[in-house]
Amino acid sequence: MADLESRGIPVVGIATTEFIQAMEVQARALGTDPAYVFVPHPIQDRTNAELHALADEYLDRMLKELVSVSAVAAE
Amino acid sequence: MTQLPDTGWVAVVKRDCPTCELTEPVLAALASAGELTVYTQDDPAFPESVPHEYDGTLDVSHGLRIEIVPTLLRRENGREVARTYGWDKAEWRKLTGLATLGNDLPDLRPGCGAKNIEPGIIEDLLVRHGETGLASRKIELGSAEDEIEAMFDRGWSDGLPVVPPTEARVLRMLSGTSRDPKEVIGKVPPDLGDCTVEKVAINAVMAGCKPEYLPVVLAAVEAVLEEPFAMHGVLATTMYVGPVVIVNGPVRRHIGMNSKGNALGQGFRANNTIGRALQLVIRNVGGGRPQEVDRAALGNPGKLTYCIAEDEEGSCWESLAAERGVPEGKSAVTVFAGYGLQGIVDQKSRTPESLAQSFAECIKAVQHPKLYPGADVLLVVCPEHERTFRTAGWSKQRLYEEIYKRSQRPVDEVRPGTMGIAEGTSAFADGTMAPKIRDGGLMIVRAGGGAGMFSGIIAGWSASGEKGSAPVTRVIGS
Repeated sequence: MADLESRGIPVVGIATTEFIQAMEVQARALGTDPAYVFVPHPIQDRTNAELHALADEYLDRMLKELVSVSAVAAE
Repeated sequence: MTQLPDTGWVAVVKRDCPTCELTEPVLAALASAGELTVYTQDDPAFPESVPHEYDGTLDVSHGLRIEIVPTLLRRENGREVARTYGWDKAEWRKLTGLATLGNDLPDLRPGCGAKNIEPGIIEDLLVRHGETGLASRKIELGSAEDEIEAMFDRGWSDGLPVVPPTEARVLRMLSGTSRDPKEVIGKVPPDLGDCTVEKVAINAVMAGCKPEYLPVVLAAVEAVLEEPFAMHGVLATTMYVGPVVIVNGPVRRHIGMNSKGNALGQGFRANNTIGRALQLVIRNVGGGRPQEVDRAALGNPGKLTYCIAEDEEGSCWESLAAERGVPEGKSAVTVFAGYGLQGIVDQKSRTPESLAQSFAECIKAVQHPKLYPGADVLLVVCPEHERTFRTAGWSKQRLYEEIYKRSQRPVDEVRPGTMGIAEGTSAFADGTMAPKIRDGGLMIVRAGGGAGMFSGIIAGWSASGEKGSAPVTRVIGS
């Protein structure tokens, strides 16, 4: 993500809540502050319909993060 | 201890050197002819007939960079202007200007290695003189700190005690390679820490390696850092996998690796410490720790250490390294993202067809009997099973082909919901045969003790191949 952002490409990470700590540890180690949206865990056993509903629910938040990152990148 | 003379002769000798003993009358002659300072490295009484100083700490010898004894050198106005070593009558006469020096001695006698450069001594001298050249941060422990506990406390351990990586031990470890300690061999995930040869040596010390294992550890680290292995993913996955190291070639014998009984188990220093050193590099250089970026739900005991040597000598097949293009006579490591061991117990099959079918049936269960494709597979064939194929004249290639074919299942049997199990595959067209293993995803090695019809499956990561991790083979350097 840091690599993409360094090229001016807005990025938002999406993961389940189980990975909040991993994201924090990795971001701290690499000195980055990535934009992330976390969805409820688990997703592996979700049906397609459930996954679509989840994506719809979180789409706005993802877009908002993307726009926000984009604004920073453009500065 | 007498200071080195500003002007005069200096000789460095040791009792444990026949050439030094041979030159004792010459040193006596030199002493009577002019200013001579003799330093003796081992026996304070030697040489009896010549006044001398005992260089017990070897600091003088080290300062003079003595490599061979006897060494005779000339100093003038505080600087060395000439040097010779061993016994070379003509050279000693030329240097000293004494035309009859050593009349009774043979013309030539080679010297002996100086004590100050012996392994185990030179490292301490370099440390004491601040000449280690090591770049890593030095950490001083408090006098009341227990060094083993201190390393646990600082988070450098994999859960077992580690050997304190003192400067002397790290230098000794580095003597196992000709590579520059400062050479960067890659960035180790997840923190992308620069990994130098020195950093690998430090972790090899901590793991309990001998210096001669270091080239194997270096090759293993370099292999997991190659892009196709995807070390970051292997570490961060919630699945069980960690790097499994397979060693081929003459190095196995040179460093005493075990490929016979208990080939995958405990009790053999080279096997166990090489795999551990690799994991410690991931932890201490890369910052890969469980419950942080390492998200393994269960992990597996092989994440402490998992290093196998193939029993090439006992095998009727070409080695894994040879299959993967490593020239004969070269040693190599192959790294595989794998976990655990699933047994194949077959004590009845006496034909290769029956045994190959057993192998395939067991492989079908890798990860889940309905997961197609499953994952890459490292198949460890025990000697008693290999004998069945050897007797029947089955090549390794034949066994590969048979296992790929026999481990397929009709797609309709492995769809979600069949057998009353929701798990299953949605891939592949209805009515076709689903492959359990991707093309190139099976590796076969032979290892183990002579008795016991028990082969083993080391299963890989679901993300095998281009979408995740592929095995990587690397020739072991010096």
